[in-house]
Amino acid sequence: MLTFNDITVQFGGLTAVNSLSFEVPKGQIYSIIGPNGAGKTTVFNCISRFYTPSKGSILFNGEDLIKYKPHQIINKGIARSFQNVELFTKMTVMENLLTGLHPLLKKNIFPIALNLPSVKRMEKDARDQAYEVMDLLNITDLANEKVSNLSFGFQKMVDIGRAMIVNPQLILLDEPVAGMNPIETEKISELILRLKNELGYTVLLIEHDMSLVMKVSDAVTVMNFGKKISEGTPAEVQNDPVVIEAYLGEVETHVAAK
Amino acid sequence: MILKLLENKRLTIGLLVVFMLIYPFLVGNSNYFMTLFVITCIYAITSMSLNLLIGYGGQISVGHAGFLTVGGYSVAILSSTVGLPFFLALPLAGIMTGSIGLLIGLPAVRLKGHFLAVATLGFGLSIPQIVLNWDGLTGGYSGLAVTKPLMFGSDFSLFYVFVVITVIITWLIQNIVKSSLGRAFIAIRDSEVAAQAIGINISFYKTTMFVISSFFTGIAGGIYGYWVGFVSPNDFIITNSFLVLAMIVVGGLASIPGSIIGAVLFSVIPHFTDSYIGITNIVIGIAVVLIILFKPDGIVSLFKMNKQKLVKPAGKGELLVQGGEKENANI
Amino acid sequence: MQIIVSGLIFGCIYGLAALGLVLIYKTTDLVNFAQGEMAMVTTFVSFTFLSQFEMGYTTSFLLALLFAAVFGAIVHQGIMKRLQSAPPLNQLVVTLGLFMVFNGLAGLIWGHKPAGYPQAIKGDSIKMGSVFFTPNEIFVMGITLTLMLIFFVIFRYTKVGLAMRASAQDIKASQLMGIKVTNVFTATWAVGAILGGVAGMMTAPITFLDTHMMFDVLIMAFAAAVLGGFLSLPGAVVGGLIIGVFENLIAFYLSPELKLVYTFLLIIIVLYIRPQGIFGGTQSVKKV
Ligand SMILES: Nc1ncnc2c1ncn2[C@@H]1O[C@H](COP(=O)(O)OP(=O)(O)O)[C@@H](O)[C@H]1O
Ligand SMILES: [Mg+2]
Repeated sequence: MLTFNDITVQFGGLTAVNSLSFEVPKGQIYSIIGPNGAGKTTVFNCISRFYTPSKGSILFNGEDLIKYKPHQIINKGIARSFQNVELFTKMTVMENLLTGLHPLLKKNIFPIALNLPSVKRMEKDARDQAYEVMDLLNITDLANEKVSNLSFGFQKMVDIGRAMIVNPQLILLDEPVAGMNPIETEKISELILRLKNELGYTVLLIEHDMSLVMKVSDAVTVMNFGKKISEGTPAEVQNDPVVIEAYLGEVETHVAAK
Repeated sequence: MILKLLENKRLTIGLLVVFMLIYPFLVGNSNYFMTLFVITCIYAITSMSLNLLIGYGGQISVGHAGFLTVGGYSVAILSSTVGLPFFLALPLAGIMTGSIGLLIGLPAVRLKGHFLAVATLGFGLSIPQIVLNWDGLTGGYSGLAVTKPLMFGSDFSLFYVFVVITVIITWLIQNIVKSSLGRAFIAIRDSEVAAQAIGINISFYKTTMFVISSFFTGIAGGIYGYWVGFVSPNDFIITNSFLVLAMIVVGGLASIPGSIIGAVLFSVIPHFTDSYIGITNIVIGIAVVLIILFKPDGIVSLFKMNKQKLVKPAGKGELLVQGGEKENANI
Repeated sequence: MQIIVSGLIFGCIYGLAALGLVLIYKTTDLVNFAQGEMAMVTTFVSFTFLSQFEMGYTTSFLLALLFAAVFGAIVHQGIMKRLQSAPPLNQLVVTLGLFMVFNGLAGLIWGHKPAGYPQAIKGDSIKMGSVFFTPNEIFVMGITLTLMLIFFVIFRYTKVGLAMRASAQDIKASQLMGIKVTNVFTATWAVGAILGGVAGMMTAPITFLDTHMMFDVLIMAFAAAVLGGFLSLPGAVVGGLIIGVFENLIAFYLSPELKLVYTFLLIIIVLYIRPQGIFGGTQSVKKV
C-alpha cells in the first residue's frame, strides 16, 4: 500500500534518512523502531509532505506522494498523529475532533454565514461522529474540556482521535503511548488492534515501548542513523544482533549523560 | 449582581435590542448622539472583522482603517458618480473592499508576525495618500459627497436601517466563527502544522480571512459614508487602525462580545474627553495599558471567569495528573 | 547624486531609530511602537534645556540623552517588565497605548505649535565633487556610523554584549549563570531610548519640532528594521539607508506625494521575495 523507494532526506550537512526503502502491506500494523534521532519522525514528515526528500519516491496505492502539498495528503486517505502532540490548544476536545473532520465538511461561506438548516444538520452529524470517536477512546466525559487542561496522555489520545475521525486508509502514529501510564498504554494497544481488525485501517507505528510493538506489529523495521538496519517479524528483529547492539549503544550514552 | 445577570445571553441580547430601539428617543433625536451611536456601530463591525482575522485567525493587520476608507469611498463613488441606489451600493462597497482585501491577503499569506504587520501598516498608511492623489476618482483633498438614500427619508429611519445591518452582520460573523470555517481559522492560529495535516489549505484560508474581514469592514466604511454624507481622505487614518487593534485586545481576542465591548468603550471615551484632543489620547492610552496589565485576556474575561466557575463540573482534578512512564529502550 | 546623498541623511536617521528598535527586540523580544514618541519627548526636553535654560547645544544634547536613558529604564521597569511573557500582540498594543499617552502628554506640556530647532553644527555647505554637504549633514552621517560601530562592537565583543545576547537566547539559563536578566533588559531599553533620542534631535532641525515629528520616522524605522530582517543591527542601518535613498529618488523623479506608497510597495515586494528580510538568514525547515 505504501512504498518507500530509496528515500534520502538531508538538513544542511546532516543526513536524517539515508536511502531508505520499505513497504507497508495493506491491512497490517507496521512498526518503525530505533534509537532517538534515528530518523523515524522524519519518515512521517516525508509522507505528510512537510519535508521533501532529496532523492527517491514515496508511492501510496501506486501514486507518488511527492507531487502533493501537505494539506492534500489527507484526501489521499492518510492521517497522522504527532510525537509531541500538535493540538489546537485553545479548543476543547470536541472542537479538536470537529476540526479533524475538516475534509468531510462543507465549507461554503453563504450557508454557513446564514446558519442554514443544512449547516446545522451537518454540525450535528459531525458532533455525533466526534462522540463515536470519543467513545472508542473512552474520553467522552472530557468533550468540553480545553485540551490545554489535559494531561499529556489524554492529549495524545485526542491527537489520535483527530486523525481517526476522517476514517483514513492509512494512519501514522508517532509514539502514541509516550507519556502514558501502563493502564492507558494497554488501552491504546487494544485500540490499535481494533483499528486494524474492526475498522480495516493500515497502521504505520513509531514506538519506543517494546512490549507494545511486539504485541501489535505484523512487521517491524529498525532504523539507526537514518538507515534500515533490520527488518522482519517482531520475533526476528528482537533477536537480531545488529539491533541489540544499536540499542545497547543508546543505553550506554543515556547512562553516560547522567 | 449585574455581571451575573449579563451572563444570561438571551436577556443581555434582548436588553441590548430594546436599548437600540429606544435610543433615538432617549437622546431626543439628537443628531450628535445618534452619530455617536452609528460611529460605535461602525467600530463594532470593524473590530469584529479585525478580531476574526487576528483573534481567530492569528493574522495581524495594523492597517484596517484603510478598508474603512475604501468602503466609504466606494459608496461615495457608487452613489454619487455612478448613481446606484443604496441597497446595491452598500453591498458592492463590501465587495470592492473585499477585492482589495484579496489583493492584500495574497502577499500576506507568505508573511508572519512583524513582517505581516509592516505590510498591513504600509497598506493603512498608503490608502489616504492614494485617495488624496487620485483626484479624478476621489476628489482629492476636498473629498466626495455621498448621495443619501431617499427611500428612508430622514436620518431617523436611516439610523434604524444601520442598527439592523449591524445586528445582522454580528449574527453572520458569529455564525462564521462558530462553523467549520471558523475552526479552520483557529486551527491555523494554533498550529499550522496540524492544520495542514488535517487537510486545511493554509494559504487559501488566510486569504479567505482577509477577504471576509475586509468585506465587512468595507460595509462599515459604507455606513459611515451614508451616515455622514461625505467622505474625505483623513476620515480614517493609521491611528484609527491602532485604535481598532486596541479595541479587540482590550475587549477580548477571539470574542465577538469582546469586540463590541472594546468598540463601545473607545468610541464613547472621546465623548467625555473631546474638549481637548490630547486628553483623549492620554485617557485611551492609559486605559489600554492598565487593562492589558491587569486583565490580559480583555474585559470580556471578567464575564467568562464567573461563567466558567458556574459550569465547571466538580471532581475533574485527576485529569491534571501527568500520565507517568517515559520511554523505555529495552528490547 | 545630490538626491542620493540627501536620501542617505534621512536614511541615517531611520537607521538610528531602527537600530534602537532592533536592539530592544533582539534582546527583550519586544517591539516598541512608542519609541518614536519617546524620542519626540526627549527632543522636547533638549529644546527646553536649550531655550528655557539657555544651555549650549552640547550640554543640552547630553542632558537630553541622560533623560532618555532614565526614561527608557522607567518605561521598562514600570510597565514592559511585567509583560515579558505576555502574548506579542498584548505587548504591541501596550506600546501603542504608551504611544498615545506620550503623544497626549507632550501636547499638554509643550503645545501643538511647531517650533524651529537648531542644527548641531551651523555653517555653509561644503562642495565635494559635484555634491553639496552641510556640516550638519556630515555630522548626522558621522554620528550614525559611529554609534552603529560602537553598538556593533559592544554587542559582539564585550561582556555587556555577551550578557545581552545570552539573555536574548535563554532567559532561564542566563539567570542561572548569574546574569541579572531584568537589569540587562532595562539597560537595553535605556540604550534604545538614547538611540531614538539622537534620531529625534537629528530630525527636529529638518522637520520642525512638534508632537507628530517622529511618527513618520518611526514608521520608516520599523520598515527599515523589517527590511533588514529585524534581528540584524547592520541590517537595520542598511535598511534605513535603502529606504531613505529610495524615498528621495521617488520623491524627485516620480511623485513626492506618493513616496510613502512606493516605499511600502518596495518593502512588500522585497518581503514577498524574501519573507525573512534582506539580512534575515535562510529560512530553515520547521521541525515537527
Ligand atoms: N527540521 C529539521 N531541521 C534540522 N534537522 C532535523 C529536522 N528534523 C529532524 N532533524 C534531525 O534529523 C535527525 C532525525 O530526527 P527524527 O526523525 O526526529 O528522529 P527520531 O524521530 O527517530 O527520534 C535528528 O538528528 C534531527 O535532529
Ligand atoms: Mg521522533
